[in-house]
Amino acid sequence: MIAIDAVSKEFETKGGRRHLAIDDIGLAVADGEFVSILGPSGCGKSTLLYIVGGFVPPSRGSVTVGGKPVTGPGPDRGPVFQEFALFPWKTVLGNVMYGLQQQGVGRTQARERARALLAMVHLEGYESFYPKELSGGMKQRVAIARTLAYRPSILLMDEPFGALDAHTRTRLQNDLTEIWERDRKTVLFVTHSVEEAVFLSDRVVVMTRSPGRIKEIVTIDLPRPRDRVTLLLERRYQDHVVAIERMMDAQE
Amino acid sequence: MIRAGRLADTLIGLVPIALILLAWQAVHSAGLAPPALLPSPAAVFTRLAQQLGSPAYLEHAAATLYRLFAGFGLALAVGVALGVAATGSRAVGAVTGPIVRVLAPVPKIALYPAFILTLGFDDASKIAAVFVDAVFPILIATRQGTAVVEPKLAWSARAAGVSPARCLVTVVLPAALPSVLTGARIGLVISCIVVFLAEMITSTDGLGHLLVRAARNFQTVDMFVPLITISLLGLTLNAAFNALRARLLRGFPEES
Repeated sequence: MIAIDAVSKEFETKGGRRHLAIDDIGLAVADGEFVSILGPSGCGKSTLLYIVGGFVPPSRGSVTVGGKPVTGPGPDRGPVFQEFALFPWKTVLGNVMYGLQQQGVGRTQARERARALLAMVHLEGYESFYPKELSGGMKQRVAIARTLAYRPSILLMDEPFGALDAHTRTRLQNDLTEIWERDRKTVLFVTHSVEEAVFLSDRVVVMTRSPGRIKEIVTIDLPRPRDRVTLLLERRYQDHVVAIERMMDAQE
Repeated sequence: MIRAGRLADTLIGLVPIALILLAWQAVHSAGLAPPALLPSPAAVFTRLAQQLGSPAYLEHAAATLYRLFAGFGLALAVGVALGVAATGSRAVGAVTGPIVRVLAPVPKIALYPAFILTLGFDDASKIAAVFVDAVFPILIATRQGTAVVEPKLAWSARAAGVSPARCLVTVVLPAALPSVLTGARIGLVISCIVVFLAEMITSTDGLGHLLVRAARNFQTVDMFVPLITISLLGLTLNAAFNALRARLLRGFPEES
């Protein structure tokens, strides 16, 4: 379980002034829950994710994961970034094997697991490619496999499909729900797409403009496993999307 | 197509070199310079071919190469290690920053007489001279390259349970490789210059020593031969470095 308790983050700007990025965020995410954080750009939603990841310390408040306070990054929380952040000097296989090998898993075993994960994200045959030779969607598949490799119980996804074209985005959303249905990891998913948030999530956290505060938390009571085409015709899906869109518009 | 294009580029690049040789020959043939001061290119290249077959000459070349590689290798090891450490540790960064800024612009060849006094006439003083001059560009490039590595690369490693120190070596350093190699190439060029210079100033062997000895004895043909040898060495080293660089950076985007 992730418990975010009264977390605020202040940044010092170049001019020496203080900028409050997020203000007094409190949120509890249950094990196996898929929660999206939705908000306009610059509302600090990525910052919140980095704080949970232990990459950035909060200015005030605290985060606990499974009862233990977060003091830094750890293999229980696997990040996936919008920019993919793949290692350019490693092949696709090398990228996925990296975390395993650093944890002391033997070469053969690490390779076997990496190959299986790459097959799961539909990238068999690309093991010896370098990231620069892949499309954006393929790069993000590699990044997801690289993170899944060390078996985090929580996925922290920072606008993972934000840099992709609409078609690739849809396909990766479908693949992500498929992967998630298998082992139901806890997911914290940052996005600015309302449809994406509603399609994927159990709950959607809507944030305000800067400084980011929680405006509302919407429970998405749609049955799982979800199928995009059926969902598009479903009244409750449409209602959620419209209601959240209105909430976002009201802030403009 | 690409291969043909590259070949054409190489051929075009050879034109100015050919023109210099032609001009040299023309000045010589027209008698514009006394033959005792400016020998003909043919005489110099014939002598070069002879010398490249002579064990004594090759020993001098080997002495120069040994000092060059020892000094450059030390500079590479120390420069990269300190550069990475300066990025990884605030304390190391704070200590090395000012001293690098103060020492980097100093012409370190001025320290060579001091090295002779302390380290003697042998290899050690030349290696030290090469080292102090080559280490700065490598250190600075490594420091700057590692400082600007995308934090999310390091985060991706840290999240997998990798310690900060390990992350520095397994992620930050390789990610900064394009910059590190640019510094290394500058260091290599400087090493070539400094080893030759040091041997010219004070030495009992090496290509630089041969050049100065020939010049002092008005043996102009023998003066040009080490000069051409060191140019050829530089060309070869540069080509080898480029090949290695292309291999090491094959996963990086082209412009880096």
